[in-house]
Amino acid sequence: MSDAERLKNAKTDGKDWVSKIWGFLTSLKLVIILLLILSALLIAGTVIEQNKSLQEYYRFYQPGTVDLFSKLGLFDMYHSWWFVACLSLLALNITACTMDRYRGIMAGMQKKDLILDEKLSKSLQNITTIRYALPLDVVENKMLECTGNGFSGKPLVTATEDGSRHYFFEKGKYSRLAFFMTHLSILIIFLGAIAGSFFGYKGNVNIFEGEAVSQLETRAEKIQHLNFQVRCNTFHAEFYPSGAPMDYRSDLSIVQNGKEVLRKTIRVNDPLTFEGVTFYQSSYGALPEKVSIEVVNRDGSVKGSVTAPFNRRIYIPGMPDKVEAVDYQEHFQLPDGTDGGQAISVNLYPAKGNPVGLWLLLNHPKYDKERGGDYYLRVSDLKLKKYTGLQVNNDPGEILVWLGSILLIAGIMIALFLSHKKLWISLRTDKEGKSELNIGGTANKNRDTFAREMEHIIQNLKEVS
Amino acid sequence: MTNSLLFGIATFSYFFAMVIYVSYLAFRSEALGKAASLTMLGGVVLETAAIGMRWYESYQMGIGRAPLTNLYESLVFFAWMIAVIYLVLERKFKIRTVGAFVAPFPFLLMAYASLNPNDIQPLVPALKSNWLISHVVSCFIGYAAFAVSFGVSILYFFKVWHEMRSTKPAGSFWDALPSSSALDEIGYKTIAIGFPLLTIGIVTGAFWANVAWGAYWSWDPKETWSLIVWLIYAAYLHARITRGWRGKRAAVLSIVGFAATMFCYLGVNLILSGLHSYGSAF
Ligand code: HEM
Repeated sequence: MSDAERLKNAKTDGKDWVSKIWGFLTSLKLVIILLLILSALLIAGTVIEQNKSLQEYYRFYQPGTVDLFSKLGLFDMYHSWWFVACLSLLALNITACTMDRYRGIMAGMQKKDLILDEKLSKSLQNITTIRYALPLDVVENKMLECTGNGFSGKPLVTATEDGSRHYFFEKGKYSRLAFFMTHLSILIIFLGAIAGSFFGYKGNVNIFEGEAVSQLETRAEKIQHLNFQVRCNTFHAEFYPSGAPMDYRSDLSIVQNGKEVLRKTIRVNDPLTFEGVTFYQSSYGALPEKVSIEVVNRDGSVKGSVTAPFNRRIYIPGMPDKVEAVDYQEHFQLPDGTDGGQAISVNLYPAKGNPVGLWLLLNHPKYDKERGGDYYLRVSDLKLKKYTGLQVNNDPGEILVWLGSILLIAGIMIALFLSHKKLWISLRTDKEGKSELNIGGTANKNRDTFAREMEHIIQNLKEVS
Repeated sequence: MTNSLLFGIATFSYFFAMVIYVSYLAFRSEALGKAASLTMLGGVVLETAAIGMRWYESYQMGIGRAPLTNLYESLVFFAWMIAVIYLVLERKFKIRTVGAFVAPFPFLLMAYASLNPNDIQPLVPALKSNWLISHVVSCFIGYAAFAVSFGVSILYFFKVWHEMRSTKPAGSFWDALPSSSALDEIGYKTIAIGFPLLTIGIVTGAFWANVAWGAYWSWDPKETWSLIVWLIYAAYLHARITRGWRGKRAAVLSIVGFAATMFCYLGVNLILSGLHSYGSAF
């Protein structure tokens, strides 16, 4: 083999290689297989619970299985490289298909073959010929009436040398563009999702009543600063008599340069948006601000009392011991499983010996007595600070997602319900002096429906007299 | 309450409709056929009244909400939707013999619904949303269309099986059914109705989630399963439109699609866990 030959072979090999890949990407089998593979992967993603802690997985699966699954990324499947690769392949597949079909679709929208000649007749099924004993002009008028219902709009008329007249009707030409609408819309949605995950953030923030924040921690565990402050004026939770929640609402203010620029009461399903950042009502709670604790002797006489701010060790007046309030629970679970009501967790630091952690229950003042010791503690007063829990979302890609969704719905509806229909009719006077009408038509989709429409038109034409 | 009573009578109507449709298939008397359609229609009218009544009663109780927010309500709405879609198709395609295969669905769904608590509970905050209502309505029209397609696809297999081994003279039981190609066509048409509606259902659901929780897609099992269903029917449409899959292969995909639909609707709540389990939102 000469060098030139080798070079030539290499070239055609290269070309083969490219066209093979192109063939693969535009293959319609690939679409179906890809859609079914994606379904199977998604099923796996719902059967194996995602993003749980490793401990939980160890409870469900053998240790070997956990190792294998976690190496394969099956516990965080939607972010695994192979899942993203599948989606990318789908996107590539759609792009390639769209490019591949572009010319064909554009060509399909062009007006050509305006005349029902022999060549066209061969490609159509059910060409029908009807003969009338009426003058051509009368037949023409009646014909236009008959077709007017299905094909409103004027036909294109061509007269040929042999004296025949040819009519070309069409409808729903632009429905061919539905293909682009449906498939490109999916790419637009992908684009929106990607933009959101790269340029947006989600996070949570708790704001105490009367307080304001200007930063929050995102889910990616970064601190995000805001160009403004969000203040929670008040928070309210309402409940039905059954105890089920009825309404959660926070009165929020947006403060910029010390001035309130926006105020809104948000609820679940009614968030507030400012400068592209949206705040959603998502949870609520309360933390103690101050707690007053009494020190009681075993005989019931009060030895002393202290008002402790949260998370600060302070001396109990007149005693060498220190206390610190550290935690709060709205519904403390008693050892027997019942609800003990509000409870404060306190660390007691005696002058000698080890610190002790204990729970003080508001509804059970003597709960701490059971601990033993010279004295016990009880809560005499508790001041709570309510907070509202907000979900924060900044998603610059969202608008693309909704745009894509609307295009997708419109595209699917047009694609499934409309079609590009063409109808040809030609009129001429035959050898015997009769008027002869030839009719034929096609549709690019929903052919059965179109066949029925054609039958109807032909039936009407046959009844013309 | 009046609504429960009406739902009860509607359930009986669906039951009788089922029985009469089956007798019609067996005896093929025109009078029986008419009676079957009328009984089914009666069931639909009664159930429409029941749903309206339930809505009205919720206002009387001072709760005031659309009857579309718990399992019971979704089941009865599903039954209603199947009956409506079927009756429309029956009129349009003259396929009364198919009734015997579709009529059991409304009855069974209503019967299953009656096993679930049906008191009108007030809504938790997350469910107070008009987006939720459009989400539920479009999803269930989609599901109902898929259910009809499923019934027709099953029937398709019976019919093909009969056509293959049939040497008997015409007039047997199976000859009363529409031809296999007509069944194939109806199976497709119903999916063509269901697919856009499922798409609308998924999009409105995403929109609702975004308004309620600030995330339009969080891969929770219910969402993921609705996507699975959507992908299966997308595969069906592509197979049919671009590769000319008809008949058996199309019918198989339709059956698989409906199995996935049912899993998305009930299986996810009963078997998998997620945000969506009815009534525990927020
Ligand atoms: C999940 C994603 C997809 C959805 C929802 C979807 C939806 C649709 C719909 C509704 C149609 C009917 C449109 C019409 O007849 O004009 C269709 C047709 C088609 N789709 Fe897709 N599609 C998806 C993915 C793809 C992909 C990845 C390809 C790439 C190869 C593709 C290629 C085609 C082709 C070639 C047609 C036939 C158009 C025709 O012959 O008229 N689709 N698709």
